[in-house]
Order: sequence, then C-alpha cells, then structure tokens
Amino acid sequence: MSQQAPDIDGATENLTLVQAVRDGLQSEMRDDEDVLVMGEDVGKNGGVFRATDGLYEEFGEDRVIDTPLAEAGIVGTAIGMAAYGLKPVPEIQFLGFIYPAFDQIVSHAARLRTRSRGRFTAQMVIRAPYGGGIRAPEHHSESTEAMFAHQPGLKVQIPSTPYDAKGMLIAAIRDPDPVVFLEPKLIYRAFREEVPDESYEVPLGEAAVRREGSDISVFTWGAMTRPTMEAAEELAEEDGIDAEVVDLRSMSPLDKDTIVESFKKTGRAAVVHEAPKSGGLGGEIATIIQEEALMYQEAPVERITGFDTPFPLYALEDYYLPEPARIKKGIRDAVSF
Amino acid sequence: MVSDTNPHFEDVDAETVDELLEQMVRIRRFEEGVLDEFSEGSVPGFVHLCHGHEASHAGMGVAMQPDDWLAVGGSRLHGQYIVKGVPFDEIMAELFGKATGPNGGKGGSMHLADVDRHLYGHAATIGSGQNPAAGLALAQQMRETGNVVLSTIGDGGTSRGSFHTALVFAAAWNLPVVYIIENNGFAISYSTQQQVGIDSLADYGKPLNIPSYSIDGSDPVAVYETISEAITRAREGGGPTLVESRVTRLRGHFEGDKQAYRTEEEARESNAERDPVTNFQERVIEAGHITAEAYDALVDEIDDEVGAAIQFAKDSPDPAPSTAYEDVLRLPLYGQGEGDA
Ligand SMILES: Cc1ncc(C[n+]2csc(CCOP(=O)(O)OP(=O)(O)O)c2C)c(N)n1
Ligand SMILES: [Mg+2]
Repeated sequence: MSQQAPDIDGATENLTLVQAVRDGLQSEMRDDEDVLVMGEDVGKNGGVFRATDGLYEEFGEDRVIDTPLAEAGIVGTAIGMAAYGLKPVPEIQFLGFIYPAFDQIVSHAARLRTRSRGRFTAQMVIRAPYGGGIRAPEHHSESTEAMFAHQPGLKVQIPSTPYDAKGMLIAAIRDPDPVVFLEPKLIYRAFREEVPDESYEVPLGEAAVRREGSDISVFTWGAMTRPTMEAAEELAEEDGIDAEVVDLRSMSPLDKDTIVESFKKTGRAAVVHEAPKSGGLGGEIATIIQEEALMYQEAPVERITGFDTPFPLYALEDYYLPEPARIKKGIRDAVSF
Repeated sequence: MVSDTNPHFEDVDAETVDELLEQMVRIRRFEEGVLDEFSEGSVPGFVHLCHGHEASHAGMGVAMQPDDWLAVGGSRLHGQYIVKGVPFDEIMAELFGKATGPNGGKGGSMHLADVDRHLYGHAATIGSGQNPAAGLALAQQMRETGNVVLSTIGDGGTSRGSFHTALVFAAAWNLPVVYIIENNGFAISYSTQQQVGIDSLADYGKPLNIPSYSIDGSDPVAVYETISEAITRAREGGGPTLVESRVTRLRGHFEGDKQAYRTEEEARESNAERDPVTNFQERVIEAGHITAEAYDALVDEIDDEVGAAIQFAKDSPDPAPSTAYEDVLRLPLYGQGEGDA
C-alpha cells in the first residue's frame, strides 16, 4: 500500500495532469527508441488535449505518427508493431471512440500472450481521455473502464494526480503486456503538483490511501477522487465521521490486499464511480469484500455512481456525476446503518 | 465515372435557385448566431460550424423530398438539420441543452434526431452512421416506400471500415441510398492528402461499380443536380450512388481550435476563394436573379428568425432531473430509482 505524498529528491516541475502525461511520454521516448506514439492529430497538432505537445518537433514523424481516422486501424496496427518488438503508445482521442478498436483489443492485444504461448506479448499502452464534466454528451464523457477490466489479458490503469500520471504511464510503457491507460480529462488541468524531472515508475496494480480513517472505507478512482476527498473532509467536520479514502488507481488487477485491509479496519464501505451502477466495478469491489472479509461487515456496501443511462448533456450532467453532497449522503447511510 | 460537373446556372429553374439561395443564407446566418452565443457561453460542449459547407447542404436538402431519409455524418451537422426542415427554434434549443429541443436537451449539437421528419440521429463515432443508412434503405426497398436515404460523411470518416462495409452492402443489394462525402480537406488537423493516395474519394465507389461523382460542393447548383440525379436513380431501382462533394472548412475544426496545423495565410486563401455563400450571392445578383436590396432583405428576415430562435432557447427550461430516465431502456438488473436523480 503506497502512501499519499511521494518523497521527492532532485529537480521537479509544477505540472498539470496532462502535462505530466506528456512528460512521461517524452521521458520514455528519450530513453527507449522503440517507444513511439500514434493516433489522430497527435503529431503536428500536438493532440486535441495537447498530451503530445512538442513531441512531433522533438522526435519526428516516424515516432509521432498522425494516423487516418480509424480506431481499429490505429490499435490493430500498433498490435502488429508491438508483436515485432516496438512499443507503441496509441492514443484514442476520447474513450467513447474506442468501440471500433474493441475487436482488436480483445481479440488480438489481450490474447497475443496466450495464443503465442508466451512468445509474443503486445507491449503497448492504449491511452484515452475519459469521463464526464466537460459539458459534452455520450461518447465524449463516458466511463467504460469496466468493459476493459472484464477482459483477461489487459491491465487497466487510471491515475488521479500528475505525479501518478507520469510514473504510472512510464511503468505501463515498460510493462510487457497491453495496458489501457485512462486519463480523467475533467482534471487534466484542474490542479498542479510537483513532478520529478527524472524518470520514475509508480508500480501498476497498487491502490493509494489518500486519507486515512477508521469509520468507513471509500473506494474511488479518477476524477471522482477529488469530490470524494472533499466529502470526507466535510464529514469529518460536520458529522465527526472519519472516512478512509482509497484511490484504487488500478482497475485491473484490483489491489485486493489494500481493499481488504482497509475494510477490515473500518467494517463499512462505499464505492464512488461515475460509470453507470449496473455492471460497474462497484459490484466487483463489494464482492471482494464479501468473499474476503464477510465477518467484518457491518453495513451493506453503498454504491454512489452515475445513472444507468447514456451520459446526458449539460443540464443533467451535474446530477449524473457524483458530487460531494451525494457522496456524503451515501457515506452517512453506510455509517448509520 | 468521376466527373467534374460545372453545370450552368441556367440549367435549373428560378424557383430552385431561390430555394438554394435561401437555404444557404439560412445556414450561414444561423451559424453566425450560434457563434455569437457560443462566445457568450450559452452553448455547452463543442461547436462545429458549417461555414463552407452551405452549398453542399443546401443542394442536397433541396434535392430531397420530405419523406426521404437523412442519416447525417461528419462534424458539420447544423446545416443538415436545417435543410431537413427542423425549425430554427428547435435546433437552437437543443444546442442550448434545453427541454424544448428535439432530444429534450439531452443530445445537443451532435445528436439531434427528428424521426417525424425522417432525420435519423447521429452518433458521434464518426463513420458509423452509414451502416444504419444502408439498413434504412433496405427497409425502404422491402416495404416499397419509394423513399430514398441520403447519408453524409466527412473525408476523415471514410477511413473507417464501417463506411466501406456500408458501400459493400449498398452495392450488393442495389439499395436506394446516396452516400455523400463532404470532403473539406481536413479531419481536424489531418489533411486528405495525407490520408489517401487516390485522386478523389469518389474512387472508393469504383471497385464496387457504384456510380461515383466528384463535384464542386461549393456550387449549390452542381450539388443539387448531381444529388437529384442520384435520388432519381435510387428511386427507380438503379441502386446506390457515391458523391464526393468538395468543400472548404472555412473555420477551425471546432470553435476554439488554434489550427496549429495550417497557416493563417492558408486559411485566409481558402476563405476568399471558396466561400460558397458570397460566391453564390454574387452570382445570383450578377445574373439579375435577385437585386442586392432583395438579398439584404432576405438576410434581415432570416436574422430575425435566428434572433427569435435564440430568445426561444434562452426562455426554454432546462430538462428536469426526473427526465434522466425518460426514454431510456432500463433493464431490470439493478437500475436506480428516479428518486436518485
Ligand atoms: C470514431 C471517431 N474517432 C474520432 C472522433 C473525433 N473526431 C471528431 S470529428 C473528427 C474529424 C472528422 O473529420 P471529417 O470526417 O473529415 O469531418 P469534418 O470535421 O471535416 O466535417 C474526429 C477525429 C470521432 N468523433 N469519432
Ligand atoms: Mg473533413
């Protein structure tokens, strides 16, 4: 279980999350010439969210590749390159546009290791901005991490801080297996953090306890980490409820040890995610708790989530996304059960 | 069969010229209104304006019958909604995310659907709508409705396999569908030259023996004539047509696009040469079809309608939280009570 504030010696820069992503890409591309990025508008344009800003100028068109608009082509081609030993980092412009590539991801990337009896792996990182809060409906806002976590053979990672974004991305690029790397675009530029200039890894598969507490464990990830922290602080003040907030960071594999350890301490849990409730990862987390710590359980697991609807536009978005008031209500319900 | 038709103005009757002009001006003035409101912060999300595509939209709109279906594609959509006959008020309200929009304010700019007007809704996954268009066309054929389906797509979207699959189905079953590629030279920053090594995107129809045309999409008469012919062919059982309508994207991909990928000079040049609205305006006035005064009056009249639509959108209510579950198929898995909304 890693702790909240990283110890940093050496030079740092105060970066936003999207700048840290860019920094991670640049760092790995400098260190390893097999690493390359590809996708729609990633080159000359620097990416629609500027996650690849300046990379085209530094590394040229052979390593920062503008592709035609075709996600199946982008990911499928990257898989073949990876099979040959390159380390592509394809970008999908918005997670909602990944569906055409799903066949390639599931049928090829996730199964290459098994199918080749371990001779080949698809060493690649599929990056995609995801999640709501930017006033655009449907594809531009949805959170489908559960669809990928459901596929054996894929790792699914979601950073929620600039420090983690760089370190997890570097670890993902170095990981021999395909990683789906989802970036919470709502907080791409929401805040800055000191990020080391040097290269470093934040290990994949490990949750981070963002706030220690004794009354309830609240599991969350991505852009929901901030409103959850806010809710926890307010509850401490208003109700004297001491919530532990766990940023899962890894949707696959889930950090079972941290989940269970935290739950055994508190006996109560809530999960906060922006994806729809039905079939969301909240259900998986609740089941882990049941399987591993039933006798510690003092209340049903509360799920505070988006609705079972397509992601709505604008006026309804503020209701759709869990915010501190709704999160506090869910936590209170679990604590007072 | 790729041809560069440049039909003469005189080829179409005066009434058609009026309609084409009016539709083009309607699109441009509407988009100017959207631009103002977007700058003011009234329009949420992204806005992709149609500047440069007006003639293409007007030409296909005037060529269509009201019962023909339109399955829109590409990013330049407002003009397509307009020529399909959706009133300004309703489109504007949807753009503002208001309850009075055709999607109840839950769809916005990119997803407007109006089934009564035979406007099939758009998914923002570029290049996916052509397959449902083939299905709509097959249904028209099976039920002998006599209706034709038009389906648009941008140059960028044509890279996707789904688009090519749609052509395969349309050709295999001789479907009454007209595919229109609005080639504006760019998919955001990626230019058509980078994308393909063929001369014209209409060539994509060649291997399937689909009659294919590449036309100047900033000439409304050329668009009208080519699409009319294609619609007639489809209605008479002659099967699909593929049209590349060459246009210019006069603004950024979306409002706020810094366009780091093209120089200001490049953008300015294309504006001056290929602005379909000013070009057609000059042409009709020069030909004596309409006086400059009458043209100004037309613009004023349309501006009033745009102003009224903006007011209507502003005065309209937001969708109520309880509507979150309206029209949503809720499978009895866990679901969530309306009380949660
Ligand atoms: C499947 C998919 N991938 C990516 C996007 C993001 N995107 C939106 S518009 C666009 C470019 C579209 O270009 P084109 O088809 O030529 O239409 P235009 O914008 O020029 O009208 C891209 C890449 C998308 N909407 N759908
Ligand atoms: Mg285009």
